[in-house]
Amino acid sequence: MGHDTAEWVFVAVVIAILVYVGADSWYTEKLVEDVPADATVIKVTGQQWYWSFEHPNGTKEISTLHLKVNHAYKFEIYSRDVMHSFNIPDWVVFEDAVPGHVNHAWFAPNQVGTYPIQCREYCGLLHYNMRGTLVVEPDSKT
Amino acid sequence: MVLELQKPRPVWQIMFSTHHTDVGYLYLVFGITFLFMGGVLAMIIRTHLFFPGQGVLISDSATFNRIFTVHGLTMLFLFALPVANGIGNILVPIMVRYKDMAYPKLNAIAFWMNPVGAALLWLGFSDTTWVSYAPYSVIRAPGPAADMFIFGMKILGISSILSSINFVVTVIKCKHPDMPLRRVPLFAWSMLTVSLMTIVAMPTYAAALIMMLTDRLGISGFFNPWAGGDPIAYLHLFWFTFHPEVYIFLLPAIGMMYEIIPRFSRKPLYSQASGVFAFVMLGIVGFASWGHHMYSTGMDFTTKVVFMIGTLAAVPASGMHVFNFLATMWGGRIRFSAPMKFSVGGIALFFSAGAGGVLNSAMPLDFITHGTYWVVGHMHLFLIGTIGFGFVGMIYYMFPYITGRMYSEKLASAHFVLMFWGTVQTFFTQHILGLMGMPRRVYDYPTSFTSWTILNQISTVGAWLIGASFVIFLASLIYFSAKGKPANMDDPWGIGGKYYYPVAAKNPHGGHSGY
Amino acid sequence: MKTLIAISIIVLVAIALVPQIAHAQLAQQTAPEKYLDLRATVWNEFFRMTTAAFTVGAVVSGTMIWLVWRFRESNPKNKAPTRWEHLDDPAAGDPEEGH
Repeated sequence: MGHDTAEWVFVAVVIAILVYVGADSWYTEKLVEDVPADATVIKVTGQQWYWSFEHPNGTKEISTLHLKVNHAYKFEIYSRDVMHSFNIPDWVVFEDAVPGHVNHAWFAPNQVGTYPIQCREYCGLLHYNMRGTLVVEPDSKT
Repeated sequence: MVLELQKPRPVWQIMFSTHHTDVGYLYLVFGITFLFMGGVLAMIIRTHLFFPGQGVLISDSATFNRIFTVHGLTMLFLFALPVANGIGNILVPIMVRYKDMAYPKLNAIAFWMNPVGAALLWLGFSDTTWVSYAPYSVIRAPGPAADMFIFGMKILGISSILSSINFVVTVIKCKHPDMPLRRVPLFAWSMLTVSLMTIVAMPTYAAALIMMLTDRLGISGFFNPWAGGDPIAYLHLFWFTFHPEVYIFLLPAIGMMYEIIPRFSRKPLYSQASGVFAFVMLGIVGFASWGHHMYSTGMDFTTKVVFMIGTLAAVPASGMHVFNFLATMWGGRIRFSAPMKFSVGGIALFFSAGAGGVLNSAMPLDFITHGTYWVVGHMHLFLIGTIGFGFVGMIYYMFPYITGRMYSEKLASAHFVLMFWGTVQTFFTQHILGLMGMPRRVYDYPTSFTSWTILNQISTVGAWLIGASFVIFLASLIYFSAKGKPANMDDPWGIGGKYYYPVAAKNPHGGHSGY
Repeated sequence: MKTLIAISIIVLVAIALVPQIAHAQLAQQTAPEKYLDLRATVWNEFFRMTTAAFTVGAVVSGTMIWLVWRFRESNPKNKAPTRWEHLDDPAAGDPEEGH
């Protein structure tokens, strides 16, 4: 029975590491959740089994989303039936689409290219095939 | 039957018995049977994912979804819980020096609810995933599978509450008066902790299941947004039960390691007090972390921080267990028989899984890991790596006690090497797959992602190794229980000392000959 | 031994810090981006966490491997029985005394 110094030291080291982990992720999360004020709002709607997008000017797209490089975008994520999860793995964009809720995610692409969009929450029969494409285009104005 | 072959009894005598060892055997046989049934499903899933885009083995995603759902339900509720209960049934009354469980008939009733629940889960073959998130399970999941799932889980939940009540009363009220609670062996402590946790956690899920059923029937709309409900409410109710449930699966395995490691190190435990403290601590803080499963559902910053702290708070207690194990081995003279091999392997994988868990709980990393194969790898490292290794080690440890015969140490070593290698290869690879963004619960993935294909194939080969190791396990269980060399019942492993829990149990029907 | 441990701790801290200092200097030289680079921020956090995890992992698994090697019963240094082995149940003995 009984503890000794070694165990107390061990527990103290573990707690110190955890404090570091907690503080670091608190700081990073704070940075990451700060959405730029001039971000363009894109409405994203998930339904079985495809994504649709609506730009602020009313343009609608299905499965393929065209965005401009070096602009900030804020996604308003809706679901029309069951839970989905909007995910662009290459840009670390990830947030659930929950029916009855509006969720948010944002990013500012700084590289032109084509990236996969997928669903990361089980949503039924064709969950595996609920894929889309993000096309980041060069900004014509600059 | 493999049971008690030295003095065979008719099977019905075991089946209708209420004696704690008999009910324990029933739990063990039931749990091991479903381990292999769930394992076959796992092999089908992994083999299918070896060949993307071809529909090998499983030709449609509906079947695939049903298979991984039933695989998860089977391994959690028809393997992990029954095996823990079985070993608990055999050992806990002996450890607290009582003649039986506190309520023998309740014990038998709790066991016999399991086959009914199992039949409902397997005959229904639901596709809701084991978490059965609303609103999918409410508005889209096909019946009667989903309804059978609800009733099956309901019955299994009641069963686990009944057996928990039994364990709590046995340990607290029926222990020998000379034995203070702090001296109760740590395996019995682990069963006490998880039983208390079950009693607190399980009613929430039981309520959620009823709400889901009435939602499905259209009577209510708790989780249905089109009837004014909120799916997030289901997630909270579900994870309030099932994050503590993670510890309910885990702690019995830790308790088993506490039983095995000092024996094979020929040394007393480093600290009984810190083991007890860590169990109780985990039992309490286990209830403070359920929200980390829901970071991405639109949770606000403060709530995330609270749940992150709650999650991290569970780590020092887990670390104390690891420290206790290592400090017990320190200065011992360790014989690496099969139970010890599995325990030490289990500690190593427990640490890896725990480190992955700390990464998971960091809020920003949720963007990378949540809902991907990272989570699959992480939770399988716990479920196979820690719980599976602890249970398999304990089954080898109990083997001579139950059958009076010895297993083959060489085959057990082969089992250990294959299982350890397979576990590392399968689930470490799945962590990397998750970092590459592969979502979990997918029937297929694009063949154009070649790195996904390669990693999936590596992972599948590892799963085959685990499968092969369990073929060895099954064969040795069957063969050596009938044909093995008679074990030295005083000291089966030649580690010195005279301790032999299960023969101390006086079974009214006879049981072992000569004891 | 103590100096060895001290040196290895200093080396580990240096390995963790140097890339970050270098990165910070690089970031000062280049023009500041208009927006936060979300994926770089999150992945940097990920690699900081994995550095911590693998460092702890190296210590823990190193200790375990050493324990298994040193205290296995076949190790020549382990010929003598432990002081609890004459008891009926060594695992139930008192860790302090062993009588």
